[in-house]
Amino acid sequence: MDFSGLSDNDRGRMNAYIEQKQMKDFLRLYANLVDRCFENCVNDFTSKALSSKEDTCLTRCVDKFIKHSERVGLRFGEQNALLQQQQQQQQQAMGGAPPQ
Amino acid sequence: MNFGGYQQQQQMQSGLNMSMAEQELEMVTTLFNNIVDSCHRKCIPPKYHDNELNKGESVCIDRCVAKYFEVNMKVGQKLTAQANQGQAMM
Repeated sequence: MDFSGLSDNDRGRMNAYIEQKQMKDFLRLYANLVDRCFENCVNDFTSKALSSKEDTCLTRCVDKFIKHSERVGLRFGEQNALLQQQQQQQQQAMGGAPPQ
Repeated sequence: MNFGGYQQQQQMQSGLNMSMAEQELEMVTTLFNNIVDSCHRKCIPPKYHDNELNKGESVCIDRCVAKYFEVNMKVGQKLTAQANQGQAMM
């Protein structure tokens, strides 16, 4: 994202805000992933320990989720760039001054 | 000299930019998180034979992300049109 419009002071605050947000996002991701993989992999309660089958499933579930989220990130970046390009073209077509 | 007033204006402008930047960041991260959730639910079957994305899943993810963006835009346009209509009626 472009933060060139912000003063040095604001940029510092923005970075702090981003850091805080990343932490929150990570915790959210963690909780969600635990929930999802637990739901998908653990269904047998005849023992209190994870079985080796469940353990394998959990490892795959986490690995696969990380790969999934990386791929989404890649496509997200492409789509987002495309969208911004379209918006810029629209603005230029309307004769609007480009944002500083 | 109205130096104080000028500074205040600067500050107000900076506060506005900040909250706009924060809002934009919030919007983009929410969108991203929602896409990750939704496309995972729709494209990755809850059976874990291995830890790799297979061909079908990968193609599904690519299409899912593109479609989510399209839906996002369509809904945004509809809401904007609705809001403009409401304003015109007032």
